[in-house]
This record gives sequence, structure tokens and C-alpha cells, in this order.
Amino acid sequence: MAELVLDGVTKYFDDDGDRIVAVDDASIDIEDGEFLVLVGPSGCGKSTTLRMIAGLETVSEGELRLNDTVINDRAPAERDVAMVFQSYALYPHMTVRENMAFGLEESTEMDDDDIDERVSETAAMMGIEDLLDRKPRELSGGQQQRVALGRAIVRDPEVFLMDEPLSNLDAKLRSTMRTELQRLQEDLGVTTVYVTHDQTEAMTMGDRIAILNDGRLQQVATPLDAYHEPANEFVAGFLGEPSMNFFDASVEDGSLVTDQFTYPLSEGTLADLDGASEARLGVRPEDIELVEEPVDEHDYAVTVDVVEPLGDENNVYLEFDADGDDGDGRTFTAVVDGTHPVAAGDELGARIPESAIHVFDADTGVALHNRDRDSDEQVVPQ
Amino acid sequence: MFDRIHDAVGTGKGDDEQRVDARTDGGTATVSDEDDGGFFDSVSRDFLGSLPFWLPPFVLMGFFVYGAIGWNFALSLVNVQQFNDPNYAQLDFEQYARAFGDPTFIQAAQNTAVLLVAFTLACLVAGLLVAILIDRHIRFENTFRTVYLLPFSLSFVVTAQFWLWLYNYQSGLVNVVTQAVGLGRYQWISNPQLALGAVVFALIWQFSGYAMVVYLAGLRAIPDEHYEAARVDGASTLKMYWRVIVPQLKGATISASVVLMVFALKAFDFLYALAGSYFPPNGTDILATMMVRQAFSAGQRSYAAAIGIMLFLLALAVIAPYLTYQYRRGEL
Amino acid sequence: MNYDARRLGLYGVLGALVVFYLVPLEIGLVTSLKANPLATLPFAPPTPEGFTLSEWTRAFGALQSGLVNSLLLAVPATIFSALLGSMAAYGLTSLDWRGQVGLFTLFLAGIFIPYQAVLLPVSRFWAVYAPLEEWLSVLWLLPVLEEYHGELLTLVITHVAYGIPICTLLFRSYYKELSTEMVEAAKLDGATAYTIYRRVILPLSVPMFAVTLIYQFTQVWNDLLFALIIMGPGEGAPVTVGLTNLGSSLSDPGFAVKMAGAFIAALPTMIVYVVFGEQFAEGVAT
Repeated sequence: MAELVLDGVTKYFDDDGDRIVAVDDASIDIEDGEFLVLVGPSGCGKSTTLRMIAGLETVSEGELRLNDTVINDRAPAERDVAMVFQSYALYPHMTVRENMAFGLEESTEMDDDDIDERVSETAAMMGIEDLLDRKPRELSGGQQQRVALGRAIVRDPEVFLMDEPLSNLDAKLRSTMRTELQRLQEDLGVTTVYVTHDQTEAMTMGDRIAILNDGRLQQVATPLDAYHEPANEFVAGFLGEPSMNFFDASVEDGSLVTDQFTYPLSEGTLADLDGASEARLGVRPEDIELVEEPVDEHDYAVTVDVVEPLGDENNVYLEFDADGDDGDGRTFTAVVDGTHPVAAGDELGARIPESAIHVFDADTGVALHNRDRDSDEQVVPQ
Repeated sequence: MFDRIHDAVGTGKGDDEQRVDARTDGGTATVSDEDDGGFFDSVSRDFLGSLPFWLPPFVLMGFFVYGAIGWNFALSLVNVQQFNDPNYAQLDFEQYARAFGDPTFIQAAQNTAVLLVAFTLACLVAGLLVAILIDRHIRFENTFRTVYLLPFSLSFVVTAQFWLWLYNYQSGLVNVVTQAVGLGRYQWISNPQLALGAVVFALIWQFSGYAMVVYLAGLRAIPDEHYEAARVDGASTLKMYWRVIVPQLKGATISASVVLMVFALKAFDFLYALAGSYFPPNGTDILATMMVRQAFSAGQRSYAAAIGIMLFLLALAVIAPYLTYQYRRGEL
Repeated sequence: MNYDARRLGLYGVLGALVVFYLVPLEIGLVTSLKANPLATLPFAPPTPEGFTLSEWTRAFGALQSGLVNSLLLAVPATIFSALLGSMAAYGLTSLDWRGQVGLFTLFLAGIFIPYQAVLLPVSRFWAVYAPLEEWLSVLWLLPVLEEYHGELLTLVITHVAYGIPICTLLFRSYYKELSTEMVEAAKLDGATAYTIYRRVILPLSVPMFAVTLIYQFTQVWNDLLFALIIMGPGEGAPVTVGLTNLGSSLSDPGFAVKMAGAFIAALPTMIVYVVFGEQFAEGVAT
């Protein structure tokens, strides 16, 4: 059983009289066997949080609890956590076998034969049993990564910590390892905290994801919940590729009025806005439909600016006709089926269904209204 | 968890039973229930762990460096006569005042300054020129470098023997050459006017290789693109070096200068070996030789201690700016 | 064509420099083999009649014990200052705590100290307060050991103390390059500070040990000042001291024997330098 709880965990650095807050009051309850992904842009505090869990950074305020025991002051070696570093951090002068055995030698009382056996088994599981007598510099990046993983697994820890372990691999290898890591984690059932800046990894790998920005936790939810019901504008814009379109709007007469178009709202949606006078309208590219001509009340005349054909899809950059010649040429993005012929210069209608829109508070960015989850369209996160 | 690994791997190796047993007592890392020394955070833990490593060397070095200087300062304040049984109640700066009134001291200080400046500058220039030459993708580069640096590996005493012979009035090489070109022969060592220059030249012979190595490393650190861009911009070779390359060698220049100056302050070994005694050739007395002479030949120990302190201050004047400069740049 | 002429010129200059740097050594060598150095041109090799090895034998006889003493001095001093430097650098670099840089600066400053500023206290300390040759007098009853070995020990300790700063600098710049994540991984693996040093850092330090040992050996072997003042001429004197006293009399400067002596004294460091030139240059450039 390994329940990891972050309770109001805060980390600040005092540098020459200035206080820099790296992590601000983060609280997450991680369940036994859960794969939690900490995700966010560079500098958001995710690595710092991970390192606090590992014991490589001290906790300035708040509590870290492992199975109800506070571990704030425990040495890293005594927390029973294993970590996979971004650079793998293998011991260059030791063979793979020695690398994997090191942790067991230093932190357990196991005798050599038992250690050997464990190492061999883990190596077999990772597919690296042929490499046991090689040194790290003789291995490829992917192999080194497996060794790093094996080194963590062999210790049979309560928690796995992973700090962007895939970011040094090339794209193809990265997606293979992603799947393999997931499978591994499921088989082993060990609580895992995984840090990444890549929202694709977060979406595909996590049981739940915790999105951080500027040291503050934005949302902790399952990937689909965070995607379809983002807590705020940051989460909405961070998840999804191409990212959500945002429009500044003022609320007038039951409609959202932007520079380029007016969007009438139904009563239910309006009620969610709770009397706000300014808001931001958000809609994901994949929810925008392209029609021959604008006919419905949520259809708008657009001209195609650029088309990016991706094969199965087209990323279409559109300009509102209503912008006119004096418009700022701002484009927004729609994603349509790849077999749908679209060309630059086409004049079409963009349909923005109300069931798919999100509305955010203009000041705080908090989500006031999120899309309907029970809509007919099966939306697959990109 | 390892049951699961076991399943995941699949045995096929027979004897499952035994394996299961073996593993269940393998043990995980011992997780103690109490915190060990709860008020130590991990930073303090590192500090404590590191103590046995740096503290002993620090103590040893600290005593011999800082302790000794402090002690030396105390000695310099004591009366000369009372050196072996110092009366610490009667401390004064008498020896320092004495130094400033002593023509020998003034002369030695001047010589030290001349040595410092001339030697350092000449080594830097020579080292830079040679480094530039070597950097031009020549063959046998390692051989050349080895030869040029060879004198640096020699003791001052050894080089003093060589140059003693080279400067010999009758048959030394230098006079042979000057005679051959019609300049006549010179008393390189006995003539006070020439002696210091002769010494400086010999030291340059010994140390320019060091400056060369430092500059070579500095030159190597400059990407080739800089040379190419300058060439494309139409700069002549001389201009290119002067305006593009040399400014980038500021760091190398500074660190080489500091080391060279400190060596210059140490030139005692050379002068003593040249003279074979505490009395270096006329005109070459520097603070270092004067100090040793006053201490161990003239019996003026507290005077010598004062000279030592002043030598230290001189060195400090050279390294303190250097250290501050390095600190600011985060190089420490 | 122009290019070739330039290249030729370049090699010409480089060759001239080779001559410049090697001539004193060449002269020393040929002189040492001459019966009457003043009779021939300095750089000319000895004539068959004028050739003699007697100067070398003479020099060797005089410097023999000095060579042994220098060896007894330089080897332990080098090893210990390198080891202590490595430990100090480890404690100040690979582990992480406040005030490291400040402390390191104190080490760094120690590199630049002029020995004249500490000579009197050090000689007084050994002579009056810590006369090891007296304290260890029991040992001198053993057949091989002599009292002057006690004095050599004081010299060893002195050189270790003054060698620590430069060794610390060398190792610190090396340890700074090592992966911090690797040390963190070791911490997570349960290694103590001691284990990290012994099993991770130390094995990885071998290249730097080579550099440091070579550099320090040269420095200690070549030193005159401490050897002269702390030990003085006598049975226990290292070879540098012996060399200064070699063959100096007013009537016969004895250049040949001086040259021979110089070579004998310089041979170990020259050999080390030529064989390990790479490491030497690396140490110098740091």
C-alpha cells in the first residue's frame, strides 16, 4: 500500500532577500497504484514538487505523507522511493548489473545471491539481460533508459518518481516507450508520480493529471475530465494540440460580443455566467465544423487562410469575413477530416456549436461554463 | 510487487516454489518508523556528511596558511633581540618603519616590482605569440608543445645552473653570441645594471611555455566561426587577431598573469641557486631573497617577518581583485 | 606558392623556438661530458679527447642521497596532498550546502601565498614546538631509519599542507563537471556521503588523480626554499639543496659537474613530464 499525500506543500527559495515561490500550496491525494502525471510548462514547479517527494529538496511549508506517516524530514534513502532521472544518471564506471545492484547493496541487508537474482529478473523484464555486463557508455539512449528504469524497479519501492524520462529520446522511441512504461506500471501496480512538459504524454499515460503553472496547482483530474471540463483558461489552453481558440468578449443582451462576431447564448449557458459582463469564449479546433455557407445562428462567414494537411486531419486557419479589410487578420483554427477538401482562399462557413463552447471569466480565467459532455459528437482528444 | 514481476517475466526455469520463497525474504529498504534527528533537513544532512571530507584538509591547510600568517604578523611586531623569547606585551611596528627607511629594502622592493611587471608582461606576450603560431593547424603540434613547456617542468635550481653557465663571462653561450655579432662581452651576472635583466630573461625562458599553454587552451575555446567571420569581413590577419581574438582571451590573460606574478614573487629559489648563497647577485635582490637573508643569515628575524608580511600584502594586492573577479563571474 | 612560403616561414619560426628552448639543455648536456668546458664552444659536443663521464660520476656520488631523500619526500607528499585535495573538493562540491563557495575561496587563496610570509613560523614550529625527529626518536633505533627521516617527515607534512589548495582546485573543477543527478541517484539508492565518495566519485576521479599527482610531484620535487630552511644541507637534504652546493669554488666553477648534477636532479621530473605531458599540460591549464 502506498498512498502519497501532498498537503499544502510549498517551496520557496530566499535569494538575497527576495523570496521566490517555486511551489505554492499544492495538495494532492495520490492513491495506491495510481499513475499521476505532473504536467505544466517549463518552470511551473513540477520538477521541484517531484524532488520534494524524493527528499532532494526540503519542504518549506506543508506536509508530505506516505501511508499516513509524515516524511518531510526523512532522508531520501529512507523514503523507499526510486527515481528515474531525465539524464538517467547511471554510474558510468559500473556495469549495468552493478548499476542495478547498487541500490540494493546500499539500502538493504540482502545477501549477494538474492541481489543477483533480483537484478537478473528485473533485467529480463526490461529486456536488457544481454546488457548486464556492459557499461553505460556502450549503450544506446533507449537502452540506457531501460537500465535507469530497471535500477528503479529492482528496489521494489513504495513510489516511483520519474522526471521527464522520455525527453531525451527521439520521437519514435518516445512513443514506443510511452506504451511500454504504461504497461509496466500497470503490471507492477506501483504508485507513480511522473513529471513531463508534454501534454500528450500526460493525456495518454496518466490515471490522473495534475496541471501546474507558476508553482500553483491548476487542476487535478483524469485526462478526459481536464480536457473537457478544464478548471480554468490555462488548463484549457494547455491541453490539446492544436490548442483551444480564445476570443475576448463582452456580454451584451444575452450574447457574447467579440470583435469578429456575435454569439447568442441559450438561457442555461447565460445563467452559468452569473452576471459577468466580460468573458472569454473558448472552443476547441476539432469542435468547429466547416459548412458550405453560414446558415445557423452559430455559423459565421470565414475565409481559409492556411491549410496544414496532416493526412488524417487538416489544420485549417480561418479568418472571419466580418473582420473586413481593417481587421487584424487574426486567425483561429479548426481541425477537420483529412478527406474533406479545403484550400486556401475558400470562403466557407464555420459552425461553432453551443454544446462545445467554454466560457471563462475575463479576469481570473476560471471556467464559468464548460462544454456538454453528453453531446452526440464523439470527441477524441488530440 | 515481485510476485508480479515474476509473473510478468514468466519462469520456465523450473522450481517456482523456491523462487517465491527466496524473494519474499529479500526485504525492502528498511523504513524506520521514527524520524532520525527530525530537525535536520536534507541540506544539513549534506553538510554533516561532508564535514569529515573537507574539514581535516581545511584544518591542516588553515593552520599552515592562515595560522602561519597570523603568527608571522605577530612575530613582525616583536623586537628583534627578543625573537626567541618574544615579549608579546611590547608590540610595535618598528620593523615596518625600519623597512621604509632601509635603502636595501627600497631597492629590493623596486627590483621585485620590475621583476613582477617585466617578467609577467614578457611571458604573456611571448606565450601568446607562440600559442597563436601553434594554433595554426601545424603538424607535430604535440612535439612542439612538449618542447616549449619542458623548461616549466624543471626546478629553479636546475635552470639556475644552466643559466649560470650560459651567462659565464668567458665562455658562456650568450657572450659567445654577442661577441660573434660584434657586441662584445658582458658581465651578465656581476654587473648590477644587467643582472636583473639577465635574470628576467632566464625566467622568461622557463615560464613562457606556461603562458603558451594557457593561451592555447583559450584559443581553442574560441569557435572557428569567429576566425571565419572576421576573414569574410575582410580583416587582415593582424587586425583579426588584434580586434577579434585577443579581446576574447581576457580570461586566459588574467589567470595566467596571476599565476606568473605569484611565481615571480617566489623567484627566491632561482636567485639563491644562482648565487649559491643568501646573497643574490648585485642588483637582483628582491624582497623574497632579502627576507630569507635577514632571517637566516643576518639574524634579524622579526625584520624578516615584517618583510614577509609585506610580500604577502603584495601578493594579496594581486590575487584579491582576481578572486573577486572570478567570484562575480560565478567561476568559483 | 605564397601559402607554402608562409608555412615554411611558420615552421622556421617554430624551429627557431625549439632551438631557443632546448639550447640551454643541449649545452648543459654536452658540457657535462667535457673534461674542460671552457676550452670549447659551449654548444659544441665534446671532442673525443675531451670526453669524460667523470663529472657525471662525481655529480651522482654527491647527489645520490639527495635523490633518495627527494623521492622519500615527493612520493608521500604528492599522494597525500592529492588525496586530501580530492576529499576537500568532494566535500565542497559534490554535496550541497550553503557556504561552500566561501570556504572554497579560502582554499583557493592558499594557492597564492608567498612562502616567505610563512617561513619563519613554519620553521619555528617544527624546530621548537613539534620536533618530530625527537618525538619519534624510538624509530631511529631501527636499522634503516635515521633521525633525518624525522625531519623529512616534517617537510612532507609541510608540502602536503601547502599542496592542498592547488589539489583542491584541480579536483573541484573536475567534480563540478560530474553529473549532479548521478549523486542524487546515489543518495536515493541509500548511499551515505562516505559511500558516494568511495563507490562513485573516487573511481571516477582516476583521470584527475593522474593530473594532480604529476603536477604535485613536479612542484614538490623542484622546491628549494622549504628544503633549504626546514632541512638544510646535510644527510637528509633533498636533491635541490645538494645541487646548489655542487661544484662551487672560486678557482674552478666546475661547470661540467654542475651541468651533470643539474641533469641528474632534473631527470625524474623531465621523464614524468615527457611521458605524461598531456596530463601535465591539463593541470597547468586549469
